[in-house]
Amino acid sequence: MIPHAPILTIVLPIFAAFLTPVVGIVAKRFGVERARDWFVVGVAILMFIIVASMVPAVWGGEVLVYKLGGWSPPWGIVLAVDGLNLLVALIIAGVVSLVAIYSVVYMERDSGLEKYYTLLMLVTAGSMGVTLTGDIFNLYVFFEIMSISSYALVAFRRNWDSVEAGVKYLVIGSLGTSLLLLSIVFLYGLIGSLNIADLAWKLVEIKATQPLPMIVPLMLALLVTGFGIKIAMVPLHAWLPDAYQAAPSAVSALLSGATTTVGIYAMLRVSYLLFGALAIGMMFIVLGLITMVAGGLMALVQRDLKRLLAYSCISQMGYILLGVGFGTTMGIQGGLFHLLNNAIYKVLLFMCAGAIVYRVGTSNLDELGGLGKNMPITATLFVVGALAISGVPPLNGFASKWTIYVAGMEAGQPICTAIAVVMSALTLAYFLKAINLMFLGQRPEHLREVKEAPPLMLFPMLMLAAFCVVFGILPGLGIDLVRPAQGAVMNQLGYIGSVMGAG
Amino acid sequence: MSLNYIIAMILFTLGIYCLLFKRNLMKMVIGLQVMTNGLHLFLISLGYREGGIAPILAGEMLERGAAAELAATAVDPVPQALVLTSIVINVCTMALALSLAVYTYRHYGTLNPFRIRRLKG
Repeated sequence: MIPHAPILTIVLPIFAAFLTPVVGIVAKRFGVERARDWFVVGVAILMFIIVASMVPAVWGGEVLVYKLGGWSPPWGIVLAVDGLNLLVALIIAGVVSLVAIYSVVYMERDSGLEKYYTLLMLVTAGSMGVTLTGDIFNLYVFFEIMSISSYALVAFRRNWDSVEAGVKYLVIGSLGTSLLLLSIVFLYGLIGSLNIADLAWKLVEIKATQPLPMIVPLMLALLVTGFGIKIAMVPLHAWLPDAYQAAPSAVSALLSGATTTVGIYAMLRVSYLLFGALAIGMMFIVLGLITMVAGGLMALVQRDLKRLLAYSCISQMGYILLGVGFGTTMGIQGGLFHLLNNAIYKVLLFMCAGAIVYRVGTSNLDELGGLGKNMPITATLFVVGALAISGVPPLNGFASKWTIYVAGMEAGQPICTAIAVVMSALTLAYFLKAINLMFLGQRPEHLREVKEAPPLMLFPMLMLAAFCVVFGILPGLGIDLVRPAQGAVMNQLGYIGSVMGAG
Repeated sequence: MSLNYIIAMILFTLGIYCLLFKRNLMKMVIGLQVMTNGLHLFLISLGYREGGIAPILAGEMLERGAAAELAATAVDPVPQALVLTSIVINVCTMALALSLAVYTYRHYGTLNPFRIRRLKG
């Protein structure tokens, strides 16, 4: 492990965020303005390497506890890395690296790019902070850093649509984070501590008292609402389709791959650790089913590619919630595997949509058609992503959805499983519709000259598609990746013991 | 002391009301600020102690071994640090919200959120 690896993963993007404009100015003077973009790509890849260096220790069963300033828990702020946050950190670092490479070409026609890269790095720093921290107020602060920079990224182009989406996202998102703060205030008032492990330990006694203090369910409700807004759980999803449709496609890919993953992680970590998996599993199952069905049905009627992808993103969140809601070993494994897979193919699909927007200039399905002849590689990659998300074997979506179905049957929830299977077929239906409208059929006259996407945009898409196929053919590999995370979810006492024992 | 909590609750409720029912982006931003300030008041009141002293452990107090005495009489410093952080975050949110409101007015000619809805589907 690289020394100080946990804090480096957070500090590196923060410094890079504010160094980027300086690098941009210097590079401009020497006539190599694109050096700034490659600087960001380099930082993202370096971050990935640092995160990966923690893998051997954590998968060996260790919980890395890093005390900031040498203050021991529960008084100081700690960063605690176990299997669960490591998986999420790997996903974020990977997605950010690929999005940075993609942005080099995709964003080249925009002005004010130093601001774009600064915000990109700030979202990364915020996501990493939420993921690695072991202190609940610290988590809130990083959550706000991530949220505020993503509002700004959504409104980055300052067109009428992106500004409208940005305002909606900002109002709903700020309400959500205020509820989070309220819940943290209640927790502090009740227990007098901010360390998550310490809180969990002391809550055990409070939960044992009869009758249960009213404040405990209230805190749970506030936390789930606050994080639910970030992962666009129905009925808190109103901002997401607008934001993903109006934002630049690279930003949509980043948001769907990184921030929703972080939202799920924060919800799992805080609610499972503080309130216990069995007590609230049913809530996740119900919310997951509603989210899955509503998102899927809304996606069916969309006429805009990015909006369709946004609704299918909501629908996939439902599968993850359903999987982890079952609370069994297999269910949590399936849910986390689906979290990983969702980050892979959702980013791939948004990048394909971005390639089409880059070459054609619109993502309206009614104005597209017959692009399969012009953009064969993009079309193939989109089909791979679409089949993976619909759960067609032998792609990765099938492996994780199958695990969730089996877990559902084992957990004695055949009706939930049946609904999930039907929704999977519905997913295939709306993606086939999109493929048909975009790549097949009559090609309008003005699309005759459309060229294939540039190679630098195809490269991250190819990598993601390769992951889709590899995890589909070798599902054991993916399960091995998520098994430490699943172990961490089930072994909450281990986490508490390691963090508290570090003092 | 309980007056603090009552006022905090009133501020929070007023803020949420303003955010949900006012038909002007500026007023919604004000509502957001009122709501969070209610939260801040609540948090500060949690850590306050009637007649408490400032939580500073000076050198000569250490020599007297007065750490326990300080802990018994001082106000809780943690909420104050939290509120300071939260105020800074709020300023950021407000600045971004106001600048977005300016752009919205340029594009739409109105600040009524019910008329800013061209994105549909």
